[in-house]
Amino acid sequence: MIRMRLAAYLHTQIAVVPLLAALAVLSVLYGGGQARAAEAYGMSAIVLFPVFAWQVKILLDVEPDVQRHIAITALGSRHRELVNGLLAGAATTCVTVLLGMVLPWAVGGVSADEGLALAEGLWVHLIAVPPAVALGAMASRAISRTAGAGAMVLATGAVLAIVLGLRGFPAPWLAPPLMSAARYVNTDGSLPQALGITAWALAWTAAVLFGYSRLRRARP
Amino acid sequence: MRLDGLWIRYGRRAPWVLRSVSATLAPGEVAVVHGRNGAGKSTLLSAVAGIRACDKGTVADRPAIVGWVPERFPAAQPFTALAYLRHMAAIRRAPSTAIDEWVERLHLTPFLHTKLGELSKGSAQKVGLAQALLVRPGLLVLDEPWEGLDAQTRAAVSGIIAEVTDEGGIVLVSDHRGETVKLPHAVVWTVHDGSLLVGEGTPHKAVIEIAVDPMQADDVAKRLRADGHDVVAVRR
Repeated sequence: MIRMRLAAYLHTQIAVVPLLAALAVLSVLYGGGQARAAEAYGMSAIVLFPVFAWQVKILLDVEPDVQRHIAITALGSRHRELVNGLLAGAATTCVTVLLGMVLPWAVGGVSADEGLALAEGLWVHLIAVPPAVALGAMASRAISRTAGAGAMVLATGAVLAIVLGLRGFPAPWLAPPLMSAARYVNTDGSLPQALGITAWALAWTAAVLFGYSRLRRARP
Repeated sequence: MRLDGLWIRYGRRAPWVLRSVSATLAPGEVAVVHGRNGAGKSTLLSAVAGIRACDKGTVADRPAIVGWVPERFPAAQPFTALAYLRHMAAIRRAPSTAIDEWVERLHLTPFLHTKLGELSKGSAQKVGLAQALLVRPGLLVLDEPWEGLDAQTRAAVSGIIAEVTDEGGIVLVSDHRGETVKLPHAVVWTVHDGSLLVGEGTPHKAVIEIAVDPMQADDVAKRLRADGHDVVAVRR
């Protein structure tokens, strides 16, 4: 099922658009001169978050609604179909994560940094993927019904993820920890802090996906 | 398979589409679902197939393998017929011979390398039928399966239904064209006003297809109705 969905996604020319958008935002990000790798990766993950979510939405929307119904019967359960869709959605972000990791070195946008920068960069990008999958799923046609509503969910989610994550906001847990993760890699935080941020991202994702699965009960 | 008090509606404040629907289907049984447009036939079928969750009630003892044939096959997919069937066979873990069998039986060979979106409605519908049969279903649900099919394939559908039931499978089929007169021993389910009326036996009607000059179609339909006949459809 995942293979079929990815094949359909790759066949659509619209799948190229988020990648071009990723290239554009990364070019802007690294166009102003060199930065520390860890710091740059933190910003890269923040700006790529809406791109990830957009890719997930496109993947889920490429499949016609009736084909989704056929997939439910072929897989034997609504739950399995839902999980397969989310996993396929997560898979679409791999190339963009790779782009976010490699591009800054290719264009000389980062300076050689301490040894942990690459690992931290990968972590800060990967931590953005599960919440992006959840946001993309909520913006998908099965839930949002119309293209306008889907775009609104996507844009609002992306903006709130940044605004609610600003330092000093009283309830930062309302947003995925993109800003906290970026601050963490910028300030060399401790391992327990990293684990806490990871748990926060997964918990936020689980809460949103719980809502997604409840809504999908009535909108198969 | 038991339908125990199914209630379904499309929104918290929306009216109930199905209300306390209960019925039983034994292995080898066929149920034909009748009802006017918008009565809830497709909703009932999708709930029985496991596609739609019920607000209340359960479908108990649903067979593990379900074949679903939608009213309109979703042709807006970037696959050829063969690539699509290969994907579906992989998902259903069907044996490699299954595609060949159904391609041959449904006369799909000339269209194997045609993109789904370029298939005629009838050929696309055959692909939809084939994907549901790649693994012999314990429950086959067909939503208006005869739409767009040629006479040869319409006859074949009746045979396929008989094969499934002969092997102990359950078949649920909605029909507004009266084609189910070709299904002897089918139980008739009528969806009316959110409720399900279960009646035994084949509908006591035969369907005659008459070809007339398109200009006279309305007059002929009017005359037949005046004579007390049920005009199922007028196609131009």
